[in-house]
Formats: sequence, C-alpha cells, structure tokens
Amino acid sequence: MEMGAKEKNQQLHKPYSNGIIAKESPSSLQQELQELRGSASCPRSEPEFEMADIFYFCRRGVESILDDEVTKRFSAQELESWNLLTRSNYNFRHISLRLTVLWGLGVLIRYGILLPLRVTLAITGISLLVVLTTLVGFLPNREFYLSEKVHLMCFRICVRALTAIITYHNRENKPKNGGICVSNHTTPIDVIILANDGCYSMVGQVHGGLMGMMQRAMVKSSPHIWFERSEVKDRHLVAKRLSDHVADKTKQPILIFPEGTCINNTSVMMFKKGSFEIACTVYPVAIKYDPRFGDAFWNSSKFGLVNYLLRMMSSWAIVCSVWYLPPMNREEGEDAMQFANRVKAAIAAQGGLVDLIWDGGLKRAKVKDAFKEEQQKLYSKVLVGEQDEGEQNS
Amino acid sequence: MGALQSLPGKPEYVDLAEKTGFSFEQIGILHNRFKQLSHNEETLLRDHFNDIPDLACNPIRLQIIEAFFDRRNFRQNGEGTVEEIGFKEFLVVMSHFKPPSLHMTQEQRESIRRDKLRFLFNMHDADNDGTITLEEYRHVVEELLSFSEALEKDTAKSIADAAMLEVASISMGHMEPDEFYEGITFEHFLKLLNGFEIESKMNIRFLNMDTTTLCK
Repeated sequence: MEMGAKEKNQQLHKPYSNGIIAKESPSSLQQELQELRGSASCPRSEPEFEMADIFYFCRRGVESILDDEVTKRFSAQELESWNLLTRSNYNFRHISLRLTVLWGLGVLIRYGILLPLRVTLAITGISLLVVLTTLVGFLPNREFYLSEKVHLMCFRICVRALTAIITYHNRENKPKNGGICVSNHTTPIDVIILANDGCYSMVGQVHGGLMGMMQRAMVKSSPHIWFERSEVKDRHLVAKRLSDHVADKTKQPILIFPEGTCINNTSVMMFKKGSFEIACTVYPVAIKYDPRFGDAFWNSSKFGLVNYLLRMMSSWAIVCSVWYLPPMNREEGEDAMQFANRVKAAIAAQGGLVDLIWDGGLKRAKVKDAFKEEQQKLYSKVLVGEQDEGEQNS
Repeated sequence: MGALQSLPGKPEYVDLAEKTGFSFEQIGILHNRFKQLSHNEETLLRDHFNDIPDLACNPIRLQIIEAFFDRRNFRQNGEGTVEEIGFKEFLVVMSHFKPPSLHMTQEQRESIRRDKLRFLFNMHDADNDGTITLEEYRHVVEELLSFSEALEKDTAKSIADAAMLEVASISMGHMEPDEFYEGITFEHFLKLLNGFEIESKMNIRFLNMDTTTLCK
C-alpha cells in the first residue's frame, strides 16, 4: 500500500489525471493585463485598455467552464485503466471478446458469490451490534471493557461484509481519550473503517428507521453524541456538548468529519471551524481509497444509501489506507480557521490529496457574490493606478 | 501491431468534427464535460453555468454565459437568444476558442482572427444592431469595475466615455460638436484591435490525453 500511495502522489502531478486543459500558471491580473497592453504595436494610452482587458476575463471564464477545480470533486474519480466494473467504464465501447468474457465472469462472481455472502455478513453484523449493545447496556456501570469489545467485534464483522482491506499506518498516533479525531470524508463507510480499529464516540443527527435503531442501541453501552434535528442549528449547544464530552478524560475520542459532506477522495475541501474551536488535542487521520477495486465515493445526489451499499458490496473490494497523523494542538495566536487549515494541509499532504480552499457546501449551494466583487476590486485598482499615471503624464 | 485504436466512430462526432475542427478525442472530452455540467441531461441551461464556482468570480460572467446562448455565435447566421443549448451548440461556441493550428495559411489565420473578434464584438453588442453604442460599452466597463472605494460610479462612467471619445476621434477624425457618433462598428473594432495577438491570447489549449488503454 505504501507503493500504491507513492504512485498516487506522483499521479497528482501528471496533467491528465488533474485537468483537461492547459491552464496558464495563475499569473496575477496585473501581469496579464500588462502583457496584453504591451503586445499592441505602439503604446496607445487609454481606449485600448478596455477592449483588450476583456480578453483576459473572457478566456478565464471559458477556461472555468471547461474545467474547474470544484465541480469535478463531486463526481466519481475517473480511472486510467478499467477495473472490469461497468460503473467505472466511462468510454464504453467494445474492445475485444476476451475482455467481455472476463467481464461476464466478473459479474457472475461478484453478484453470484460475493454479494450474497456479504449481505449475510452485514445482516449478522448489524443485528449482533443492536442486540449485544442493548445487553451490555443493562449491566451496571456501563462496563467499558465489554462495550469496547462488543463494538469492535461488530464493526469487524461489518468490515468483512464489505471486504474492506485496510492498512493502518502509524498506529502509535492513534487517538486517545479526551481528544477529537478529524478525518477527510468520502463515504459513510469511513466510520466503519475507523471504528474497526478503535472505539470512538460518534456525532450525528438522530435518524429514523434502521439507523435510528442502531443509534439508540449503541448509545446504551457507550457515550455517543446524537443530536435532534432542531439542536443541530444551535451551534453553542453543539459546541457545549462536545466540550463536555471531551473534558471527561474517561470518555472515548470523538470522531468528526469537518468537511461536512462527501468528497470524491481526490481532494480535501474546506474544514468547518466549529470542531476546531474546542480546546483539546486534535488527532488528524487521512483516509485514501484505492479506486481500482471499487469506487467508495457516495454521490448522494445520484444514489440513495441502500443503492450505494449494494454497489459497495458488489464491487471487488474496498481497499484503503488509513494514516494516523501526530496529534496537533492550537497554537498561540492562531484562530480556529487557521488551525483548521493547518490540519487540513497535513491530512492532504499525507493522503496525497489536493488541498482546496473551496467549501464542500458548494455541492448544493452557490458561491457568494463576494468573490465576484473581489475580482472587480482588483481590476479597479489596476485601472486607478493607470489613471493616476495617465493624469501625471498629460 | 502498433498502438492504433480506431474509434468505431460515433456518426454525430464525425459531423461535429468537420464543422468545428476539433478532433474526436477532444469532442469526447467536451461531451463528458457537457454531461457533467448539465447533470446528464440533454440540454444546458443558464442555471447550469451558475453552478461553477470559478465562473462566479468572473466580473463579466453574465456576458460570457449569454455568449453561449446567443444565436449569432452558432455560425448559422441566426439572431436572438435561446433558452437552452444542446451539445452541438456548446461545441460550436467552444470552437471560437480553438487555437490556430501550426499549418495555416495567412488567409486562414485572418479568418480565425475575424471569428474571434466577432465573438468579442457580439459580447459587447447586446442588441445586435451592428454597432457598440456608448450605452453598451459603458455597461461592459461597469461590469468589470466595482462600485467600491477605488472607483465611484461617476468615475466608471467617465472612463467609458473617455474611451469612446478616443475611439471616435481615431476612427472618424475631427467631429463637429453636434455630430453624433453612433457607435463602434465591426470594422472599426477590427481596426482598433489590430495590434493585438488575439490568436494566441484568446484560445484554450487541450492537453494530450489518452485515458483508455488497450486490452488485446
């Protein structure tokens, strides 16, 4: 897996896995405009500069239409070579008979053998989780040892149900009690992958149905933090509950995904600063999936959860690497946002992901007008500078 | 055997390739992008463009988006705007940004240049009367600037006015005080931008991509 990771790191520098057009290195607005004006045959004074400056913005605009950093993060990563799964076949065409036969065999194995086995395991795992945690809850003093064992066992069964092959690195940095564990988010399965190796307190909204039942059962034997929908909006309440949990050193570390939404595992997007405002140690974790065996990204606008789980269970396997990074603390004079960015950069560097400043919330919302105003301000400053020079000359 | 792969040739692509000059591969890539932007629907709406965060930062975003829905850019001598575009129209508008290939005659270069400048002209000339009037020009300049401390609204207006005045004096020579300058026609526009290397400044270069592998 180390080799795999190194490959991935290098891959990110190759142009074709990143973008489809050659973008100029982001030279500043000033530089480009000067170039444009300088390219005129003789130095004219004012009128041309308006006309030609449009080129720059026009070209930048069309470049963003063709290829931008954000929208491609919300759809599954493209593979360079086909892994015999139809779902990752983007350039579908018939290549050879042998390949089709191989693919057919693959379908038989995946749906005929692997899927039923996995579904059975999943059902076993979930029922055991619900039953055993309820039982442990009846014991006095919430036996921590037993509850840990129960949780670990059930999550291990679930991991087998997905055939997740996980490699943990740097286990000496595993999160300890009284801290917060943050990680990049690709899929709800992230939770299972991390819970396989240690016990965490999870944070989330109260759901109904099967999820709700599991949540209620789990909270009986160990202190998870589930919020009612109405409480989620109240940031102070959320922060308080988290701080209380963290202050109690006997409680397990909290698991939080600061991106707030699933990203397709090629990049890390903006971390919400809420979890970084709490005064405690942060244990960053980087998770990187190997897309060759199965695409783990959950595109929630395209597939529902059950559909997604079925797809997961009918892939070849889920192969991933988990790196535990050394703990970080907020430094003197650093505010929550800067701390969050520092942690994000560390996770991105370790996992070989692109570090973006964009907000994952853009999956559903639009960019604020403030960004457009920034560009306008920049351009105005350039013009005003020119005006001053022009006035001095004339 | 060699690394030759022949695309079984989607027939629509052949037609498009001839019309726009893109290669099959580039058309395939653009098609994927089209599907990504339109969320796998057949047509693109203006709203789909509004979803691109990078584009939202661009001051002349509205003009650029309008250019995609402007019939004048579809190379069919049409006029007016449409509400939605299919992949063919998307490709045709994109072809305005194709870089000139190395082996081109002077005439071909000239016609490509005219093409690109026509695209820009259409972006300014919103009502399609063949001239960029002072109003239209002022509108574009105001989009580029911001009403912030750096420039007040009047300053923006006066920059646009000064620019138009210079243009008028260059193209029409001395004007009587009560003579009215209708606006910049396309020919004037060409003359004004004579010095600029628009062929190289206004194009998008594709990287050489080959994502499919051979399984033989």
